[in-house]
Order: sequence, then structure tokens, then C-alpha cells
Amino acid sequence: MTDNHNNRINPRRPFKDTASGVKRIVLTTAPRPNEQPHAKPIRSREKNNAEQANILVISHSDRGMLDDHARQTVAAAAILANEDTSTDVTVVALILGDLRENIASCGADQVIVMPEFSFEKFQPDLELANITAVIERLKPTKILMPDNFIGDGDLGRRLIASQHTKTAATHVTEIHVHHAASPHAAGRKIAFTELPDIVLLAADTVDMDLPFVGSAIQSTVQNENTGLQHGSTGSSQKSTSPYQNLGLKTIATEHVALEEADLIVSAGNGVNNVATFERLALALDAAIGASRVAVDDGKFTRDKQIGASGKTVTASTYIAIGISGAVQHLQGIKDCRHVIAINRDNSAPIIKRADLSVIGDAEAIMQALINAIAEAKSPALQSSALQSPAPQSPAQQEAA
Amino acid sequence: MSIQSIATLVSAGLHPASGEPRHCRNDSLAMTLGLNLAESISAEIKVLHAGDKNNPALPNYLALNAKKIDVIPVATNVNIVDSLATHLTNTDLILTGSRAEDGEDSGLLPYLLAAKLNIPLVANALVIKPVENGIEVLQFLPKGKRRSVTVQLPAVVVVHPLAPIELRFAYAQQMSGQIVAQTTAVQSNTATSKQIQWQIQAAINKPKKLKAQENKSGHERMLSAITSENKGGAVVNEGSSVEKAQVVLAYLREHHLISF
Repeated sequence: MTDNHNNRINPRRPFKDTASGVKRIVLTTAPRPNEQPHAKPIRSREKNNAEQANILVISHSDRGMLDDHARQTVAAAAILANEDTSTDVTVVALILGDLRENIASCGADQVIVMPEFSFEKFQPDLELANITAVIERLKPTKILMPDNFIGDGDLGRRLIASQHTKTAATHVTEIHVHHAASPHAAGRKIAFTELPDIVLLAADTVDMDLPFVGSAIQSTVQNENTGLQHGSTGSSQKSTSPYQNLGLKTIATEHVALEEADLIVSAGNGVNNVATFERLALALDAAIGASRVAVDDGKFTRDKQIGASGKTVTASTYIAIGISGAVQHLQGIKDCRHVIAINRDNSAPIIKRADLSVIGDAEAIMQALINAIAEAKSPALQSSALQSPAPQSPAQQEAA
Repeated sequence: MSIQSIATLVSAGLHPASGEPRHCRNDSLAMTLGLNLAESISAEIKVLHAGDKNNPALPNYLALNAKKIDVIPVATNVNIVDSLATHLTNTDLILTGSRAEDGEDSGLLPYLLAAKLNIPLVANALVIKPVENGIEVLQFLPKGKRRSVTVQLPAVVVVHPLAPIELRFAYAQQMSGQIVAQTTAVQSNTATSKQIQWQIQAAINKPKKLKAQENKSGHERMLSAITSENKGGAVVNEGSSVEKAQVVLAYLREHHLISF
């Protein structure tokens, strides 16, 4: 294809930068120096005999990862720490629940993980006792938490109610080095204050693009210590705890609003066979979405439309099948964490947005996916059927 | 212990468009949930408001089937949590909305109240069911998840705005209901959270995002302006459709997005 356009001058032709910063066009096809994004430096904390201080970020993890809201909160702490010129501030992230990713890119210097406090389990009394112990040990100057519904908004308010000597603000929509602001009177007014000691941060208040990373030293020793300490007392506390978990349940996907769904498969113009697509959604137990073109074609109802004139979704997984990814559509999926694109065109805009792009015919790949899922599910059933009598038998023996 | 007495706390709300005083939607949900629960188990129910007896928002709650509203006057030197706590000491179940519509609306009051009374609190409640030795609460979690927990009484329950409750407004009930002012001398004696001095203004401008300062040279800024950051993840061009499907499944498994 390039042979036909040899007469055109590539506007992005290779060049190199000289030491004086002058651009020199080179005749080789060497990659541009900026094409490999060089690693960001670790935040510089070199200050002359500066005092040490901590900023603590407390958040729950979701399936071993932090969601965007939690990452923004860590980034806010890192920015506040970076702007402090007089003290050497360490950003400590206390993660409740297991953590399987590195959060250095959001600027965390130290990470304390407490894997026993998953957000799925309701144990606010134990969580509060543990985070209070960490706060007493670290004596942070500020405590930041995301004001969300997976337990941090709840835990943060419990913390505020228990810490009488600290100032606090919730629903904070504007945070700055010296001030914070949160909406009052249901958003009609905005109230400014000096940056309080405890901040429950609303979503989308921080630009996550940092020019530095944190060192993200995971302190496993502290984790084990606190875990063991409170694990041993936990067993005695559990009997006295006023809360008891009866389990988590997930609503069947057809009853969940598209905005609330966690896994969405979405069809665009590239999907010709809606029946296959629906079988795939059923196999994955995913909610169904569609692009504007697919809805306009009458393949899907209007309430399935995702994008600027449709719905804005916050699914953690979004599988876009045959969707080119117009900006209006990308606007609707801006909060999705994992985007997987299945598309015939490898230059479509969705490929730039997607975390994984598979180039090929949508119908064939959907069929292959359905088969692969059926294959993956069937041995799981067999093994569970094989395993299920095993744990029962010792229990029966004990009972006998 | 079964539920003997229920109290619901109501606040004055404002209409979202016109700003006219009216009932607060979140508190009305909590109140209606409490009224329905009290009716089903024949418990005593009290609707409490801390503030002015003549607040034009209060008759709205009568119309929503509160037979009687007890108003606790708020003195300037007494903390509102303290005065509420003295009225709620012998209450088994305290229901509140998640967030007020006027004032600070931080959603902190139920937490301060629970801490003051030293009783458990469950937030984001959708459904409340009386069980032996307490109540069972269905909690809202995002992404289509719900969680059931039991909690011992007495307890504070914060009702989530998505609770499946229908509000019924009847003018006849508004006319027949009554608003009664309570008088109890309350002394503020406990330390409460340090008060913040707010500077309140009309919300006209959008809040500013916090952004990291970058000290880049002009050349670096020019470079970042003309080159787009290398976005996008892995692209799979090669292989049969079966292999490509396996790549997708492997990605989903790697990030624990599916459970098979």
C-alpha cells in the first residue's frame, strides 16, 4: 500500500533531536525518540534536613485492583506531597482487600495491604479498629479516602465520627494544596475551607497524569503484623461484633441497569448476526449495549445505546464488537477500566482506546469465543461435581 | 429482641429545580420504610425533626403519611447530635436518609449519632427485614451487587436513595396530621468533631481539578504537544479466530474479570 503513495512526504518522517534541541530529519527509518515513552522518574524527595511526614490514603480494592476513583485519590495525595516544599512527605496507601497490581504510577510511596478486609464482606468495626491502629502508628498529617459506595465512604464517615480532634470534609469536589471545596445544599452552593485533616474525595476531582511515579514499597511485614494481631483478636471480636454477613449476591444481568452493569458486550455496525451476539452475551452473563449505528439500524432498542446521546457506562469490562469507536461512543465508555475491541479495521479509533484489540471477523471470533467459553465452563462443572462429595464426606464422618 | 420502637429523622428539603421548601426525598424514603415496617410488626414509630416547628417543609411529611411529627428545637449553644441523642436513647431502630438537601449535607449525622449513642450502624440499606435478635438489611453495592447483613438492635440504619419504596402524597393526611414541638433541656457535654469554618458561595464555576505541576522546557512542551502519547494496548493481528478467542479469554482471566 505504501508503494502507491511514495510520492507523498510522510509528515511524521523520522527525525532526531540534536543536543541544542534542533530537529534534524534523518533518512533512515529509525523509530522516533518519543515513540517509546521513557519511564517517568520517581518523585524527588531530596530536601535539606526536612521533617518527615505522611499522607495516608485508605481505600478498598476491587478484585485485586484499585478503581479509577481510588487511583485518583492516591494521585491527589502524591500531588499534595510533591507541592509541599518544606517537609519530606511520604504517600502511604493503605489498601483493604488484596492487591495484585503495582500502584507506583499513581504516586504511592508505601503500600500497606490488608487482604482480609475485602469490600465484599461487611466488617466495619474491625476495619475501623485496624485503620485506627495504622493512623496512630503513622500519625499522618492528612487522610484521604475516596467517597464511594464500595465501603470507603462508609468507613471514612465512621472514621470521622471516631476522630474528634480532626477536621473533616465529605463529598470534596475540589482539592488543592491549601483549600478544599465541597457542594452544599444539594449542589446549589459550594463551600470552601482550609484543607481539612480527613478528606473524602468525590470522583473525577484529580488529573491522574503525573509527571512522576512513587516508589510503591509494599510493606508486607506491617501487613502480617497487623493481620496477625487483629486476626487473633478478631476471632474473639467476631462473636461480639454486632454485624453478621449473610453473603453477597449479584443481580441477574437482565435486571441490572446498563449504567450499573459490570460486564458489557456491545455491538456496532460490524455485527451482522445479532443472534450470535446475544448468545455470546448469555455465555458471558454480560449486559448488552450497542453503538448508535446498530441502534439506528433497528438491531437493538434505543435504551441499549451507549455514547454521547445514549448512556454513559462504568463497567469494569467493556467488549466492543464491530465498533469503530467514534468520539461520541468513546465518551460513553470513558469510565470503563478494561476495554476489549474485536474489529476488522486495525486503524479504527477504538483500537487506540482498547486495552486489548483483536483484529478479525466479528462473527468468526464471536463463534470461537462462545465455543471457548462453553469449553471452559464444562470442565469447571465436572471438577466441581467431582470435588463436591469430597468436602462433604469428612463433615459427615465428624457428624457421625 | 424484637423491634419495639422505631424513630425516623426527617430534614427540610428543597425542590431541586425551584428551590421551594419541600420534603427531602432521601428522608421521605427512610420515613416511609419505617412507617411500613412499623405497621407490619405493630411497633411504635416516631418521626423526629430538629429545627423550626413552622418550617414549611414539614407538612409534606404529614402528607406522606406521618401522623405526627415531633420537633426538637435547636438551641444555638447545643450540638444537634446531642439533642437528638437524648431523644433517641431508648429507640430500637433509628432510620435516616443518606444525605440532606439543604445545609452541609455531608451525610455525617447518622454516623455521629451512632458514635454518640454507641450503637451499630448500617449504611446503604435497601430493604429491612425483622429477624430474631435484630434486623436483616439488604445493602446496596455498585455493579449490580447486593449484600445481606444482620445487625443487632438498637441500631442506626441509613437508607439508600435506590430503596424500592413508593412515596404516596395525600392532602387529607397533611390536614389531619399534627406537628408537636418538644421541649427537653439538653446539655452539650461531649466533644464532637472539630467544626470547620466554611465559606459558602453560589455554585457557578465548575470545580477545578487538581493537577500536578510540570516544569518542562519549551522544547519538551512542544514535543508533548505534537506527539500523541502512545495509547492503546496489545493488538492481535495474527492467528485463527480460535486463537484470538483464547487471547480474549486469557485477558479476562488474567484480570480476574470472569470466574471460569
